[in-house]
Amino acid sequence: MNGLRLTFHLAGINNQNFLMRDEETGTYWQQITGRAISGPLAGRTLPLIPCDELTFALWKTEQPRGTVLADVPAYVAGYAPEDWDVKMRKAPTVLSYAQPGIAPRDLMLGVHASGAARAFPYDAVAAAKLLQDRVGGEPVLLVLGPDRQSVRAFRAGIGKGGRVEFYRTYDDKNPAPGAQAPLMMDSASGSHWDFQGCAVDGPAKGSCLERMEVIKDYWFDWRHYNPATTVYGKTSR
Amino acid sequence: MDLRAKRRLTYGLAITGSLAVSLFFLVYPVYVIRPFRHQGVQELQAALAVLRFRPEVMAVAVAVAVVSAVLHWRAQTRTLWRIAAVLGAAGVAILAGLSRINIYELMFHPIGQPAFVAAGETKLDGDEKVIAVAVGGAARAYPIRIISYHHIVNDVAGGVPIVATY
Repeated sequence: MNGLRLTFHLAGINNQNFLMRDEETGTYWQQITGRAISGPLAGRTLPLIPCDELTFALWKTEQPRGTVLADVPAYVAGYAPEDWDVKMRKAPTVLSYAQPGIAPRDLMLGVHASGAARAFPYDAVAAAKLLQDRVGGEPVLLVLGPDRQSVRAFRAGIGKGGRVEFYRTYDDKNPAPGAQAPLMMDSASGSHWDFQGCAVDGPAKGSCLERMEVIKDYWFDWRHYNPATTVYGKTSR
Repeated sequence: MDLRAKRRLTYGLAITGSLAVSLFFLVYPVYVIRPFRHQGVQELQAALAVLRFRPEVMAVAVAVAVVSAVLHWRAQTRTLWRIAAVLGAAGVAILAGLSRINIYELMFHPIGQPAFVAAGETKLDGDEKVIAVAVGGAARAYPIRIISYHHIVNDVAGGVPIVATY
């Protein structure tokens, strides 16, 4: 912020999303929004860096020369067990926003576009493997990766053509190795595209779809910070 | 009431006041900012304001309590009252000390200096989920198993200072 590097510390919790405090100014920040809510920098927002949640194996094929955070030996005993997210689904919440068909801890993939917010239930996306929709009027494509767990969102338009239909062509039963494995095909050019959104063959080869940021969050938290959100499959845009 | 008695009373009230203030400044934020409790917008703002001024308030409270206890000791001859005043001042010091504890970092220790392993050398299981970023030409993966404990990793990736949070 303003050329000052901030060092953050875990400082509290606000409706089950944590607060952090920077050493340098003593400002308190909300984790999910990156926004300062109290202190000298109140009102400022930390720039969000695009990030992915995916399996290590898939990430490694895309970034073979990347680096991985190491365990801190003193605290390994406290690290989450493998089924932590299953157990977490059953934990109580202090906010609800429950609706018919939507439970507070349902996992959502939240997308922002043109000022609109829309939540895509993770289970629906995983079942469909590829779905196309509109958020804020923009054509959006969500696709399940070759690891069958990670999801990425792209703007589903090529060039000036507007919306294009995509089909997930990856054969999960015969997984093809490599980061550039063809994952889906578009109806306009018949090109195949990989999970990084880049065309690996066909007329569109070499071009890439624009990535859109996805926030994977529990419904109650997404709804709390996006009161006007719509929900794919439940409420219309 | 003679002058000396008034003085003793004043010092005693100063110590009691410091105790009350330090108790409030310690307990109110802990009461409001608790897991599994709903935080309203205004009470959160109040609790955070208390937290932001707490170190200075505690320092003043300790100074007032200690000085008052000393002055009270000199103005008082009865042992019981003297001890009470000293205990009061000690109580303020204890509350001030407790207020320096960050219970969240006690439960979820921070990573001081994060260490990284090359992708090809880590023993991470292929199925483990990671949060991945590419910044300034560097590609980083933060295993969820680790970052869900530490919650925060202050890092510099590709020359860019970032903070990874989960």
